[in-house]
Amino acid sequence: MDSPILLLLALLVALVQCFPDDYHSHNSTRHHDYCVLGAGPAGLQMGHFLSKSQRDYIILERNSGPGSFFNIYPRHRKLISINKIYTGRRNREFNLRHDWNSLLSDRPDLLLQRVSRELYPDADSFPRYLSMYVKELGLKVQYGVDIGKIRASETESPRGRGYILTDQRGLDYTCRVLLVSTGLWDPQKVQFEGSDLVEGYESIPVDPEEYKDQAVLILGKGNSAFETAQSILGRASRIHLYSPSPVRLAWQTHYVGDLRAVNNELLDTYQLKSLDGLVEGGLEDIAIVRNGEDEKKRSGRKKKCRSSGKEKRGKLFLTLSELLDSSDGKNSSKVTATNLPVYHNDNFSLRQPYDRVIRCLGFRFNFSIFDGSARPPSSEGARGRLPGVTAWYEGRGTPDLFVLGTAAHSRDYRSSAGGFVHGFRYTVRAVHRVLELRYHSNSWPSIKLSISQLQSWLLRRVNEASGPYQMFGVLGDIILLRGSHCEYLEEFPLQALPQFSSLSGHQLSKHGLLVLVLQYGLNRTDSLGPGRAESEWTRAWRSNFLHPVLYYYDKLPTERDMRHRPVGWPLPRPKAVHHMIEDFLTEWDGPISHSQPLRRFLEHCLHTDLRAFYAESCFRFSLTNRKPPLFCRQGYLRKHGVVRNRQLWQHAHEAGLMPGGQDSASPDTDPAFPDYLTRAGASVSSAINLDF
Amino acid sequence: MAWFICVVILLLCSKSELCTTGNASKLIEHTAAHFFEKMQSGKMYFIYFGKQVNPTIGLFIEQLEKSADVLEDYGISVAKVNCTNEHIAKYCTGEKLMKKVYLFRGGNVLKSFDTDTVFDVNAIVSHVLFTVLFDEVRYVHTIAELQSVERAAKGKADIVLGHVQVLGLPEHRALMETAFVYGVKYQFVLTTGGPVLTNMGVEDISSLTAGLWFLHCKGASQSQHSDSCPHTALRRALTTLHIYTFLQLMEAPLVSEASVEPSEVNMVHSHLQVPLLFLFSQPHTVALDRVTAQTLAWRLRGQVGLVLIHRESPDVKIPLEYNAAYRLPGEGSEVKYLILNNLEEVIDLFRDESTPEEEEDDDNWATLDVLDDEVAESVYRDRGQSLDMDAVTELTADTFHSAVAESDYTVVLFYVKWDAVSMAFMQSYIEVSESLEDADVSDVELAVLDCGEWTDVCSAQKIRSFPTVRLYRPQEPSQPYQGMLGTESLNRFIMLSRLVSPVLLSSPDEVTSFLEGDMYQRHAAIAPVTVLGLFSSTADAGVPVFKEAAKALRGETMVGLFADRQAEIWAVEYSVTLPAILVSRGPTGQTEAHSLNLSMPDQLVTHIQRALLDTFATVIDGGHSAHLMKVHMDQIQTLKTEIESLKAHQQKEKHYLRAEIQATADALVQSQAALMESRAVNDTVEEGEERDGVTIHARHTCELWNSTSDRQTQHTLPFKCLGSLKNVLVFERKAIFLCPFKMASN
Repeated sequence: MDSPILLLLALLVALVQCFPDDYHSHNSTRHHDYCVLGAGPAGLQMGHFLSKSQRDYIILERNSGPGSFFNIYPRHRKLISINKIYTGRRNREFNLRHDWNSLLSDRPDLLLQRVSRELYPDADSFPRYLSMYVKELGLKVQYGVDIGKIRASETESPRGRGYILTDQRGLDYTCRVLLVSTGLWDPQKVQFEGSDLVEGYESIPVDPEEYKDQAVLILGKGNSAFETAQSILGRASRIHLYSPSPVRLAWQTHYVGDLRAVNNELLDTYQLKSLDGLVEGGLEDIAIVRNGEDEKKRSGRKKKCRSSGKEKRGKLFLTLSELLDSSDGKNSSKVTATNLPVYHNDNFSLRQPYDRVIRCLGFRFNFSIFDGSARPPSSEGARGRLPGVTAWYEGRGTPDLFVLGTAAHSRDYRSSAGGFVHGFRYTVRAVHRVLELRYHSNSWPSIKLSISQLQSWLLRRVNEASGPYQMFGVLGDIILLRGSHCEYLEEFPLQALPQFSSLSGHQLSKHGLLVLVLQYGLNRTDSLGPGRAESEWTRAWRSNFLHPVLYYYDKLPTERDMRHRPVGWPLPRPKAVHHMIEDFLTEWDGPISHSQPLRRFLEHCLHTDLRAFYAESCFRFSLTNRKPPLFCRQGYLRKHGVVRNRQLWQHAHEAGLMPGGQDSASPDTDPAFPDYLTRAGASVSSAINLDF
Repeated sequence: MAWFICVVILLLCSKSELCTTGNASKLIEHTAAHFFEKMQSGKMYFIYFGKQVNPTIGLFIEQLEKSADVLEDYGISVAKVNCTNEHIAKYCTGEKLMKKVYLFRGGNVLKSFDTDTVFDVNAIVSHVLFTVLFDEVRYVHTIAELQSVERAAKGKADIVLGHVQVLGLPEHRALMETAFVYGVKYQFVLTTGGPVLTNMGVEDISSLTAGLWFLHCKGASQSQHSDSCPHTALRRALTTLHIYTFLQLMEAPLVSEASVEPSEVNMVHSHLQVPLLFLFSQPHTVALDRVTAQTLAWRLRGQVGLVLIHRESPDVKIPLEYNAAYRLPGEGSEVKYLILNNLEEVIDLFRDESTPEEEEDDDNWATLDVLDDEVAESVYRDRGQSLDMDAVTELTADTFHSAVAESDYTVVLFYVKWDAVSMAFMQSYIEVSESLEDADVSDVELAVLDCGEWTDVCSAQKIRSFPTVRLYRPQEPSQPYQGMLGTESLNRFIMLSRLVSPVLLSSPDEVTSFLEGDMYQRHAAIAPVTVLGLFSSTADAGVPVFKEAAKALRGETMVGLFADRQAEIWAVEYSVTLPAILVSRGPTGQTEAHSLNLSMPDQLVTHIQRALLDTFATVIDGGHSAHLMKVHMDQIQTLKTEIESLKAHQQKEKHYLRAEIQATADALVQSQAALMESRAVNDTVEEGEERDGVTIHARHTCELWNSTSDRQTQHTLPFKCLGSLKNVLVFERKAIFLCPFKMASN
């Protein structure tokens, strides 16, 4: 009796699966382990990692193609992310340091430079690149799915709670893990009197001719404001930029979200007094009023004023809300001279009327699609425009919901590159590694290295790694010390260090850990002034530009340590810290300035001699010491020693480093053995005693 | 007469045990009559009335005696009255007797002190002087009190403000002694903490136990009522000498001017052991320089003397590039010239110690600039020479795969240019390439790949250490080179790798040839030891395993395989059972035989590697250095079981065990013997620990040792071997090496 029904059911299921998605019944649901919301750069980046690890995932996109944000924005169609094709190097990892648009993949040629050869590419090339990315990697993207509502599933399954997404047709998608990469779409608006008279960046005409001989007031001093200003510079009569904070230049703050030099022509015309200008002031207390019909009536009477009156008719004046309130009653639509600041202050900067007022205040995260059960809170920083997330980008209070891409910028707002493609492509990878451990028990990928190789490996990372370089101060390499070897983990989110073991699946040993971070100096200096760069390695800690810093901890910093870390530091005070001197060419390979100080720091942390020795020296040490140096133990004593040739032997002898005399027998009495190590040596030998 | 006094003292001592330490004591013992007489004299007396003496009082009396010496200088006599003998009304009676000391002036009691308060010399002196100077030294607590003192003193006298946390300590005494001497000249003020200190710029009041400030009130105008006088703090410990010096400095002019060489300048500062700072002035900047000097002098007042030197004077011959100089106190100390750019630098110069230590610091840094790694240093010294890379192929990501597929043998050196070992080995590598070219070896390609540039290739090849050398053959997994990083070893590896492994032998003749005949001779230079696997038939399950092992040993030695019924002949000859291996050391050496019963290739490889070891495990490697090799595990085994039985037997803590072994070893050598390779012992006990570099320094005979020293290295070895005992090498100096196992030759 049962079997025919079962058979029928199986048939039905098979039938249903054969049909394309549209044929699904209205209420049917689809389940995926991972739902990625939005096929922008962050969503696709995550798609790549999920597809690479062969997970059950789907990318849901409301538009018909990937990266649709870039079909509209930036309005003036020039990307300001660098697409540097020629770096003089062929190291792919290194070149990603200077390619700010491409996404990560295993294909060496899947880069934006295939689509555009421009340093600042045309905005259209980015969606084109993303389409190529989707196609070549075969990512599963479902277009035309506009998710309007997201709620947490009520039923607590043993695998976690999961999320239910409803699209515009009422179709439900259930997901075990939701990855929100919706980007920032909602224009940021400020409410003030007359804010309806303001045009938005999203809808302004981009043809400069439309601004011919017009006076334009732009609210905002970010890249979009300057980009708008720059495009109309040759047509508009007067451009004023108005916002609360003064302009921040990216080349001064090292934050790519600040005003980039690509867009800053207006600074020139302002400082050379050519009718444009920047003004600081609050946005909440201003008002925009239109000079309207009453002006017309009066102009009839006063003929002399007629011409000027006509000129000013229908124009927009910036005034202060308090001046409007003081006018009679609520009738603020009627503008009198007393309503304008110039009446009270005859040299008020913005006293002249404007033809247009444009709002360029940036964008905010769309919280509205989230049901209360699934809505991450607003971030503390970034004026609450972004969702608040943990250090591993999981929404606060929304387990299994992760925020990726620009929307996840609240972690490093105004300090690093997490809000930009060249930054979040790495944080997405970090999140994926967290997912792999949490849901599939695959611990963070690591490389086991012999301690004697650690220095070379660190230098290798420092010289090529793009992740810590782009996400400076946010992602760092973790080196777990394990005695004679170590585990090397790349690009771990530093703020999550207190939760290291539960996020990475690696345990800390009693030997502690090292963290490799790239960071800018904390001392604000004149970016172009004298003394901006440090070149003496002994003063490496004063480096101002991006330089590698190593932190050594004997145990994991706690949550509390993290909270109370010194201002501006990416990490709490370590047991030992080492700054590698900044380098003009970002090549950290000098034997004296880079390698040796690094080696000494490692020796200090590891309490061991890390120098390299020729076979002869190792032979000698082996016969005269209970424990020859590490290099000899791991090399020479395994038949892998270094034999010098005649020339190098000569050099070493001239340097007086080779033991040639009759007397020196042990490292303790060897004059070539640095003093600072004798203590370390002592502790090594005492450690031996204890071990035994 | 003298002996009589001695007797008296002796009697006194024996009777009352009031034994004074010396005859020089100024402590007077009064009789009653004496006492009343003195009271009338108007002098000051500090008198203790005592009865019997207990240890506490004894200690006090001792201190009292010491203080008598000091107080005499201040015109105060110290005395004691023995109430057992004398009776003085009021003082020799009452409950407080024994516990009180009185200060008299002109017959009146000025103040009485508890013996607990005036517990030692410092306390006595400070308290007595404080009482005496009661009118002259003002005690203040609040800021208002200090301000009133300041107001009174303005234009008249400078103020010395002293702070002591507790009265009666040496600091208090020093302060009081100074006040006694300078009380007329300065207004002394004492405080014991509180808000006054905050006014002086002290941040942490509780941590400051004592301090002294000089308030320049004399020069301050009286009109500025509200302002407090400018002050200078004494930055040293409160001792009489320091205070004296400080007050002298305060008297010295703020800035002196001179027109002579700095070395000629003679100021009060040199006597006071204070450094002098010279600033050089030019005629047209004199006014400005004076201001600078004044500012500096104010900040450094009390620490450094400041002299402005007029450069235009013909006596002054200072190099023009310097604008400042300093001279440390002390006879003949040199004038040091420097260039100072701002005031802070100068202040820093004298901040902690008055002696700047800049030069020393520079020296330290300078030594740190020297590479102390012999490999790095030798490569660094070679930086002028560019490597001739023509002999090797420089691979790229584009050429790597085609290159390793094309050539029969491609040896690739993976390197990074910041790794000194890589760059040192690179030279040998190029030499090997050249020598192969010379030898017309055409099927081997030597290539290098820079992992700093072609990071993808290195990641894909899983290169984890630098330098890495690998041998690639088409359609076969790459083989790592694990030998010495030197010309000869690498050369031998390459030559050996070109041989087929294992060599399949088909007849007994071939076997003989392989072991010691033609076939052996052909390769004797690169493979002095050969290994032959003997199996009864090709169907033997061990054959594939052996073949696998032979592959892994490729490059290390020459391996032959003879799988035939006739193998039995050799088995019988060497009295082993098949399968077995024969290790041949040529026609002159002996041939060893080992039975095989291993199923895994890895095990077999290790087994063969062990068998390969010479009886004298020392191998002369690269023609230059003696090489120490891993030793036969069997031999360690003996030691291991010994230790384990010891461990089980003793049931002691780990480190006790160590001591035990040490003791055993010591007993064995019976002299200052070093237990060789404690690490090896360590490893056999500690199973959990990773075994890195487990090595036993192998079986040296004296002959071998000394030959190593003479022939193979350009320097001599540290110890000359004199002879060998059973398992001990005896050296000329210092060390005796214990070989923890039997010498193989015995």
